[in-house]
Amino acid sequence: MADDASTTSPQVAPAVTEAKLAPGPVDPVLAAIDPDRGRPADAVVTRGLTLRFGEKTILSSIDMQFARGSITALIGPTGSGKSTFLRTLNRMNDKVQGFRYEGDVLLDGASIWTPGLDLLNLRRRVGMLFQRPNPFPMSIRDNVVAGVKAHRIAKGKQLDVVAEQRLREVGLWDSVKDRLGDSPFRLSGGQQQLLCLARALAVGPEVLLLDEPTSSLDPISTEYVEALLRQLAPALTLIVVTHNLAQARRVSHHTMFFYDGHLVEHGPTDDLFERPKDPQTERYVTGRIG
Amino acid sequence: MPRVRRRRVFAALFRAGTFLALGLVLAPAAWVLAGVVAKAAPHWHWSVLWTPLVSGNGGLEGPLVGTLVLMAGVLVIAGTVGVLAGIHLAELSRPRRGAAPGGTWLRMASDVLSGFPSIVLGYVGYVALVVGLHWGYSLLPALLILSIMVVPYIAKSTETALRQVPTSYREGAEALGMSTGYALRKVVLKSGAPGIVTGLLIALAIAGGETAPLIYTANFATRVWTGSFVGGHEFGYLTYMVYAFWDQPNKNQIYLSYDAALVLVAIVLILLVSARVIVARTQRHAEGRRG
Repeated sequence: MADDASTTSPQVAPAVTEAKLAPGPVDPVLAAIDPDRGRPADAVVTRGLTLRFGEKTILSSIDMQFARGSITALIGPTGSGKSTFLRTLNRMNDKVQGFRYEGDVLLDGASIWTPGLDLLNLRRRVGMLFQRPNPFPMSIRDNVVAGVKAHRIAKGKQLDVVAEQRLREVGLWDSVKDRLGDSPFRLSGGQQQLLCLARALAVGPEVLLLDEPTSSLDPISTEYVEALLRQLAPALTLIVVTHNLAQARRVSHHTMFFYDGHLVEHGPTDDLFERPKDPQTERYVTGRIG
Repeated sequence: MPRVRRRRVFAALFRAGTFLALGLVLAPAAWVLAGVVAKAAPHWHWSVLWTPLVSGNGGLEGPLVGTLVLMAGVLVIAGTVGVLAGIHLAELSRPRRGAAPGGTWLRMASDVLSGFPSIVLGYVGYVALVVGLHWGYSLLPALLILSIMVVPYIAKSTETALRQVPTSYREGAEALGMSTGYALRKVVLKSGAPGIVTGLLIALAIAGGETAPLIYTANFATRVWTGSFVGGHEFGYLTYMVYAFWDQPNKNQIYLSYDAALVLVAIVLILLVSARVIVARTQRHAEGRRG
C-alpha cells in the first residue's frame, strides 16, 4: 500500500532550478516515444574550445555542455568573446579572415567540423536569431518559408501550411494573416523579430542560437519574446547571448559568465546570480563591473 | 560678419549652386527633346516605322529593326557577361580567406576597357573580326564590339549594387543554411536589382546610340537585317540615319534624319519607363519602402 501510494501520488514539485533543468518528459510512456531518446543528453558539447582571430586569442579552453531542451544564457561585458563563441557553434566564423580554432564542438556527439559534413544541414539544425531583425526583402509569407524552400522541406501548397503554422507558433498569425503578401518592413521591430524567429523555426532546428535577440526591441515585445523562448525550450536547445542580466535570470536555466576571453563561471542560473563562486562573477552580476 | 549670418549666406549660396547645377543638367536634355520633337513632329507619319528605306527615300524599317536587334543582342551578350563579372567582383573575389582569384585583374581590365574610345574599338573590330576572321560587315562583329564597350558599365554597376546589399541579408541567409549561390539568386540579387537594371539600361542606351564602332563593323545598308550573324550582311541602324542624312540636299532625307532621332529618343524613354516598372516590381518588399 505504501509502495502504491508512492508511485501514484502526484510528484512533489521539485525545486525551481531542478524543474527548469529537467524539462524532459518523466512519464515512461512519453519517454518511450520521445524522439530524442537514445540521443546524448547534451545537445551541444564544447571540448577545450579555443578561438583565435589571427594572433589574438578570443576565448581559451572552453569545456561546456548544453543540456537538450535547456536555455543557457551567455553573459559578460562587450568584447568578452560570447558572441564569437555563439557564432562558432553554427560555423558562422569559418569564413572570417584569420579565424582559427582548437578543440572541438560536438552536436549530438559528432564534431561540427567533421570532414565532408553538410554545412548547410548543420545550419539547418543549428538556427540563429540576430540582434537586429533581418527579414529578407520578400513578402511576409516568403520570409517564413525562405529556409524551407532552400532545404526543399516542403513545396507548393504545403508552404502555405508551414507559413501559417510557424506564424501561429510565434503568435504573429492573427496580425499578419490578411497581409501575407506585404513587405515585412512595414511590421514593427518586435513583429519583424518574431517573423525572423518563425523563419528560423520553420526549418526544424534542434538548437537555436540567439545573439541579443531583444536588444533592439521595446519592453513589451521583449517580454513576449522571452515568454516564447520559455515555451520553445523543451523541444529546442536555446543558447542566448544577452547584455540584459535580468533577462538572463528570467529566461535561462543555465548561465555562463565570460570575462576577458575566459569562461569565468557557469552553473544553474539561480546559483550563479545568488551564490557566485568567483569574485569577478559577483562583481559583474551585482553591476559593479560591466 | 557674425557667425550666424555667415552661415546663412553660405547655406543660401550652396542652395543656389545646387539649383544652378540642376538647371544645367535639365536644360540641355529639355532642349534636345524639344528640338527633336519640334523638327520631327510637323511631318511625322507613323507609317515611317514600317516603310522600307529605298536609296534615300521611304521609311525607317531597316534601321529601326537593326537598332532593336543590336540592343537585344547586347542585352543578351553584354548583360550576361557583365552581370556575371559584377557578381564575381562583389561576391567571390572579396578579400577574405578562400576568395576567388582574379578580382584585381578583372577590375583593372574592366576599367581600362571602359576608357577606350569607341572608334578605337570599332577599328579593332574591323581589323580583327570583319577582315581578320573574314566575317565581313555583319551583325556579330557589331554585337561583340558594342558588348565589349558596355560590359564594364554593367559589371561596375552590378558590383556596386551588390556591395550595397546589407550584410544582414547575407548573414541571415547563411544562418538559415542557404548555399552562397542560392542566397545570391533568391536574396542578394533581388535586393541589388535596381542598380543592376540601371547598368543594363545605360548599356542599352549606349548600344542604341553608338555610330562610330558600327560604321566599322556593320557598315550600312538600306535593307532590313537578313537574319545572318556573319558573312557580309550589312544592315542599317538609326544612328547612321541621324548622322548621315541630316545635311543631305533631299528634303525627305532630312525628314528621315529627324524621324530617326525622334524614334531613338522614344526608345530611350520607353526603356527608362520599363526599367522603373521592373525596379518597382522587384522592390515592392524592399526595406525603406513602407508606402
